[in-house]
Amino acid sequence: MGDISIKVDNISKRYLIGDTSSGSLRETIANVFSSREKKKTEDFWALKDISFNVMRGDAIGIVGKNGAGKSTLLKVLSRITEPTQGRIEIDGRISSLLEVGTGFHPELTGRENVFLNGTILGMSRAEVRSKFDEIIAFSGVEKFLDTPVKRYSSGMKVRLAFAVAAHLDPEILIIDEVLAVGDAEFQKKCLGKMEDVAGEGRTILFVSHNMNAVRQLCTRGIFLSNGQVVGSGDINDIIDLYLQDNQAVSGGVKKTFIEDPDKDFQLLEARATDQQSNEKVLFEAQEDIFLQLRCKLRQPIPGLYGFLTVKDKDDNLIMETDTFDYLPNVLEELTPGISDISIKIPRRHLAVGTFTVYMNFASKQNISGFNVDSPGNILTFDVTDSYTVRGNRRRSILSTTLKWDLTGVKEHS
Amino acid sequence: MADHKVIIDASKSPLSLELRELFNYKDLFYTLAYRDFKVKYAQTFLGLIWAFIQPFMTLVVFGLVFSRGLQLDTGDVPYTLFAACGLAAWTYFSGVMGQAGQSIIGAQSMVQKIFFPRLIIPLSKALVGLIDFLIGLCIILFLMLLFQYPPSANLLYLPFFMVMALIASLGVGIWLSALTIRYRDFQQIVPFLVRFGMFFTPVAYPADILVNRIPDWASVVYYLNPIAGIIDGFRWSILGTEAPSMLSYISFGVVLILFISSLFYFKKVEKTIADII
Repeated sequence: MGDISIKVDNISKRYLIGDTSSGSLRETIANVFSSREKKKTEDFWALKDISFNVMRGDAIGIVGKNGAGKSTLLKVLSRITEPTQGRIEIDGRISSLLEVGTGFHPELTGRENVFLNGTILGMSRAEVRSKFDEIIAFSGVEKFLDTPVKRYSSGMKVRLAFAVAAHLDPEILIIDEVLAVGDAEFQKKCLGKMEDVAGEGRTILFVSHNMNAVRQLCTRGIFLSNGQVVGSGDINDIIDLYLQDNQAVSGGVKKTFIEDPDKDFQLLEARATDQQSNEKVLFEAQEDIFLQLRCKLRQPIPGLYGFLTVKDKDDNLIMETDTFDYLPNVLEELTPGISDISIKIPRRHLAVGTFTVYMNFASKQNISGFNVDSPGNILTFDVTDSYTVRGNRRRSILSTTLKWDLTGVKEHS
Repeated sequence: MADHKVIIDASKSPLSLELRELFNYKDLFYTLAYRDFKVKYAQTFLGLIWAFIQPFMTLVVFGLVFSRGLQLDTGDVPYTLFAACGLAAWTYFSGVMGQAGQSIIGAQSMVQKIFFPRLIIPLSKALVGLIDFLIGLCIILFLMLLFQYPPSANLLYLPFFMVMALIASLGVGIWLSALTIRYRDFQQIVPFLVRFGMFFTPVAYPADILVNRIPDWASVVYYLNPIAGIIDGFRWSILGTEAPSMLSYISFGVVLILFISSLFYFKKVEKTIADII
């Protein structure tokens, strides 16, 4: 037992769908008096019979799709919410970081917020004081220590908040996706700091959709799906399992819109698919990505064109294109009715990362206004690279590979 | 460190209040109180002076209405001084009750993201309220000097009534905070209690005016108000007015029952706070 730091035994967590426990007094009183008008509630098991052990010094990555129960599991482990069934034994001082900057108050100065946030995370004031200089140096906001945090940029706020969190001294650290914030350089710094922590023999539980970060930080993994553990073991095996599962399931990215008869033209559905028309959330850099659109034209619109951008997760504009790029403009050729349009993002353009597609349809000649249909940010998908040796470690903005050709041999020895 | 062992077991619901854990988070308690204090007066031009202006103006209005207008008789005690004692206790009670009552709802984002004993949140409000209370005492002291009114020998008992006021306001505040999580209706009820409660509390008038004119059972109901007896005790210990009547003990009993039951009720709902907030 001495070496087990977390022992999870048959944990389940149930939520009631349609539950109005946080509701009004009238409903509760009404429910007491009338048994027939019982609100229909449905059980939803966010976690079902989860068991695993975490050894001291393990760095465990928890992977799974959205809604698989990762966050619920972390909340149960960090005692924010109680499990419905089961038992957990935690041996060691635990800190959880489900969000950076919990409790930050905009009116307080940076200095005051460091103390506030530190004590919320479970440090004593004396502890915060002893690490204060280190925290500030790590955050890089020395100059603004006595400025209210509301005047900080969001980047500064995150840096300060992470700096506090990074200087926690727990034996067990639980982290949820906090690396999704901040710029690339800072993320690298955070990841480095977390690696240090892992190297010191602390126990870490880490949830992320960023497989690179998980691979870099963790030694073992747990794969959750629909609230159940479907695999656990070496991190590389678990990530492979997760990626395969992602590829196999066609419940990928798809966005549909409710028909609006007032619009002369409307995007009804958008999907991100591979060549075989399978919807996916995770694409290989090696494959072409297709954006499949289904649209409805009710009234012909002169000059109608489509506009599309692809942004990365830091909102950097990666691609910008419109239907005038290839003439004739395909939208001006449309006839009333439903049509399908496909846009190909060729392989080895997008680098590894998360991308969001934005779309707008407009016309400069339209009498009733410039914007015809504005679906906005409609699709988000990930790109990974498992087909090259450099793979996900490639740092470039493009995932383009360049061929090195031998054009001659000058001297032979 | 073996003492950091935590066991979460869904099949057991411990009756303990886990006070030791509460104590471990004492620094958070101070920090939250400091935050509230700082935020309340940050960026206001007059800062802490506001804390003096409000009770001062209230006393002026009370004096006009009750002393000048209604010719209320408060015996040897100057009316303003009489009202100031009631007001200091009432301001503390209603302030802490109101703040604590809304506190968990106000800390939603924190509650959903991190673990700490939730009770810290309403408790910290009792500490912030002490600032207003001290200001109330300063005003009383000032009025005593002004009217050349010596403090009574009962002053020794003042700490007891201060502790009672603290327990009373926390008892009601903790109950309200826990109830508000489940029933948002209480968000409406709290301001209502603060506003109307003052009329049913001997703040601006001596309790015996009322008690002498209503039936006994109504007096008992009146003293179910947890702060009523405490305010009597306050005046008695500071000004040496009539000692709290037997009726006051009803108040004291209510205070203790409310406080103890609030801790257990809070403990009971604490576990579900993050799920239903």
